Amino acid sequence: MLKRNLILFVAVVSLIAGGFTTAFAGKKIVNGIDANFPPFAYIDKTGKPAGFDVEAMEWIAKDLGYEIEHMPIDWDGIITSLLTKKIDIIASGMSITPDRLKKIDFTIPYWTINIVMVVKEDSNITMAELMKGNNRIGAQQGTPEAKWLKAEAEPRGWNYKIGYYNSSPLAVEDILNGRIVGAAMNDAPAYDAVSKKGVKILGNFGMEPEDFGYAVRKDDTELLEKVNASLEKLMATPYWDELVLKYNLKN
Amino acid sequence: MLESLTVIKDALPFLIQGSLTTVVIVVGAMFLGLALGLAMACGMVYGRKWVRVVVGLYVWFFQGVPVLVLLFLFYFGLFNFMGLTLTAVAAVTIVLGMTTAAYQANIFRGAILSIPSGQFKAASALGMGNVQAILYIVLPQVLRISIPAWSNEFSIILKDSALAFVIGAPEIMARTQFVASRTYQHLPLYITAGILYFILTWSGVKGLRALETKVRIPGFSLHGN
Repeated sequence: MLKRNLILFVAVVSLIAGGFTTAFAGKKIVNGIDANFPPFAYIDKTGKPAGFDVEAMEWIAKDLGYEIEHMPIDWDGIITSLLTKKIDIIASGMSITPDRLKKIDFTIPYWTINIVMVVKEDSNITMAELMKGNNRIGAQQGTPEAKWLKAEAEPRGWNYKIGYYNSSPLAVEDILNGRIVGAAMNDAPAYDAVSKKGVKILGNFGMEPEDFGYAVRKDDTELLEKVNASLEKLMATPYWDELVLKYNLKN
Repeated sequence: MLESLTVIKDALPFLIQGSLTTVVIVVGAMFLGLALGLAMACGMVYGRKWVRVVVGLYVWFFQGVPVLVLLFLFYFGLFNFMGLTLTAVAAVTIVLGMTTAAYQANIFRGAILSIPSGQFKAASALGMGNVQAILYIVLPQVLRISIPAWSNEFSIILKDSALAFVIGAPEIMARTQFVASRTYQHLPLYITAGILYFILTWSGVKGLRALETKVRIPGFSLHGN
């Protein structure tokens, strides 16, 4: 009984202590990432956050003299987490969209991404057939491409049905399972998928390229200015090009 | 096949760390539920009218709203509104604890009602007060009777803890997804996660069964011998 009480006591104390350390740590910023978004953000073999945005933020934090923690968050809840101050910044391949700008602010664009359609490697379907035929296609829930596909289907006379996924790797998995014919996703994660699985990039399906930026709360202008200045500095260094190469962003 | 096995082998330490998070959440939630649930059960049986109404509302609310919704409501809503900066793990533990408390209250209430009321009279004949009778006569029996139902509740909460990642607590399922996104070995990894859950459930249920046998009072049991 005593032992059980002790275990319970230790558990409670460590939970409370855990709560306090996050509350009172000094100059620390928490970066919320979608860890299912390689190569921009993912968890590496050793269980640590890695990826293009993770390393870029490490550089920026060091430059600004901040301590940084990368916290994996479900993509669905990531903006809510930012607004409720669970995290301070989202550096995780987030597109700057008018909808998002109503709620949060973005840094300068640091990367332009194309949105492409991925299909099975041995498929010989054309883009027109895919979009006009009665096919099921996939997209990650809460992304601009998911919204776009839904909004554009009727005006453009497309007849697909959309399946929503938690992450683009899961959509790729379902292409291979044959449950969907194609999946819309950003080009960099698509290159990653092509290098690891039996899929290919069919091409662009009409969506304009999008700019990625790091997101902060609207009232957090100080952080925004600092990160902007530092990001600009970083983009001028050779380290930036090294990162682009390392994470195969251009293919 | 070999590739899958290598991925699982590499990912195992990372996933097992996730099991620890799961264990912390579940153990914390179950004991929070035990404390709250026991108090509420006593309130339901012995309490005044207003106590019964309050407890009834609590149980009705937590049984009626899905855990997923509760997690969002509490983590992004209530805790934030109250100015509490809880970690995701602490928040999940509290929310699951409050949810299981509603179910545990009913488990304990049923157990209390199954104790013959004659014992209460016998206790007062011996000069015991009401509180004493509850603490020393009723509750020790109630806790023993409740172990099987409590063990069911444990396995349910263990599996509900897989929802924790919606607010960012890195438990087994979240970590499984992370590794799958990097390696594209979804199926083998989800099988591994299933096995980890199975081991946790099995050892918990087994442990509670052993506890049940250990605390059994020889020659006295409601289940016959």
